[in-house]
Amino acid sequence: MPETILEVTGITRRFGGLIAVNDVSFAVQRDEIFGLIGPNGAGKTTLFNLITGLTHPSSGKLFLMGQDVTHQRPHQIAAKGIARTFQNIRLFGNLTALENVMVAQHVHTSSGVFSGIIGTPKARREERHVREQALHLLDMVNLADRAETVARNFPYGDQRRLEIARALALQPQVLLLDEPGAGMNPNEKAGLSGFIREVKEKFALTVVLIEHNVPMVMGLCDRIAVLNFGQLIALGNPAQVQADPAVIEAYLGDEG
Amino acid sequence: MELTTLLQQLINGLSIGSVYAIFALGYTLIFSILGIINFAHGAVFTMGAYFTYALIGSRFGFNGIFANAQLPFGLPFPLALIAGGVLAGLVGVLIERTTFRPLRRRGADPLLTLVSSLGMAVALVNLIQYFVGAEAYSYPSSVLAGLPPSINFGTPEKPLIVRTVQIVIAIISLIILVGLTLFINKTKTGRALRAVSEDGTTASLLGINTDRLIVLTFFISGFVGGIAGTLVGLSVTITGPYFGIAFGLKGLAVIVLGGMGNIPGAVLGGLVIGIAENLLPASAVAYKDAIAFAILFIVLLVRPQGILGRAQITKV
Repeated sequence: MPETILEVTGITRRFGGLIAVNDVSFAVQRDEIFGLIGPNGAGKTTLFNLITGLTHPSSGKLFLMGQDVTHQRPHQIAAKGIARTFQNIRLFGNLTALENVMVAQHVHTSSGVFSGIIGTPKARREERHVREQALHLLDMVNLADRAETVARNFPYGDQRRLEIARALALQPQVLLLDEPGAGMNPNEKAGLSGFIREVKEKFALTVVLIEHNVPMVMGLCDRIAVLNFGQLIALGNPAQVQADPAVIEAYLGDEG
Repeated sequence: MELTTLLQQLINGLSIGSVYAIFALGYTLIFSILGIINFAHGAVFTMGAYFTYALIGSRFGFNGIFANAQLPFGLPFPLALIAGGVLAGLVGVLIERTTFRPLRRRGADPLLTLVSSLGMAVALVNLIQYFVGAEAYSYPSSVLAGLPPSINFGTPEKPLIVRTVQIVIAIISLIILVGLTLFINKTKTGRALRAVSEDGTTASLLGINTDRLIVLTFFISGFVGGIAGTLVGLSVTITGPYFGIAFGLKGLAVIVLGGMGNIPGAVLGGLVIGIAENLLPASAVAYKDAIAFAILFIVLLVRPQGILGRAQITKV
């Protein structure tokens, strides 16, 4: 019996007269790689913003592991186990790679402001532990040797990997990836599917992925939801979605 | 100027400049997190000075609601300084709650928040006047009991006399500067603050409660502002409810000079202005307050981003 980890029911988001997401419902099962595709402006990123609490739905609900988190704030949802990366990378450019990752471990530490200032043994121990874990994550994405380099000095591909390491530091249950292949060269793109699978297994994650590269999505995802003009027009495994007339219409219509 | 006089003025300049620096840091911290100048910061500075004045057990004048009031106890000066700073920090938190947060929640334009903080400054100044009157207050000289009024660093023939109070101010400011720098660069909370100042949205998606950090920032800002108020009050006198307003303008000059939102910039700007003011010849002392703005004007012509500020690159 598959377990539902993330569920949206009848979720709608209006911006003035524009309906960015219109009555969308789906449930993501634990352990799957769930794809979210659709033409530009279909509402994919808005949906990610709704799931992470950056914007709140005009109507509808959001459940995480059975719990209603519809009106929770981003930091509360993050602490409950949803991490994301961005279409255009959003690292803390003036912080080092190590600090970027350590920031994301903030919720998993308990020492307060004051014990940090006076440096109690507990706070020191915790800080040491956080640092070790961060270095471990950086090692996994092959950046450990440049841990003290500030993030804005990394080349593009490395910044992508650093952003993923930072998201993992949050110890999420669900990882949302917003166009992880954007801006990558063909070489980097080829390795991306393998990397996502590897990370998913290693950290026991459920992955929700927005991606424009259709062959990659078809090869990687267990199930795919297709959005068009804010509406869910298809949901199913890659073969089903590919054969769906509404999907063909949306994509051909978009290009024609 | 004779060498000893020059040295003397240099030390005085460093001393007052270090107070400018910690005061300006209060602006800088809030600006780097919210991108807004807190115009009520000058009023917090004033309140810090009054809090400490009350806490050492001094009596208020005969105007205002608290006419002739006096606490039943008097704290020793170092304790009163810290407690006054903490109270000023709480005023900072109150300002955040009433003046900043409601507007932030509604996604208001930063300019509106700036105006609302200006309104808060006026309200606070008037409250002070309402409670303790408009007269000037001086800390009793006994607060530095046990210390000589001045120290001669020269020889009896070539004296280099520095007021003890200037040394005390410089030391306290230095401790605060070093402590704050370590806090921001070396602790977990400081790291989170730096992350929020770069990108609060992303920080919140990584589980950081930005509202809590903003409150903490206002507390720290109020704390250092209140301590600066006490130190200036100690050096000269608390000139009245408007004590911090002129000082507040100079603080703005300091942060713009150093580079907005830049901590080392605020420190450098404070020291530059403090020293420049004190190197004025005695005949020009009346123009002391003009110096800060004259320097600001000249520097901005050459470096619009401030001495240590990073130039804004507009992408086309």
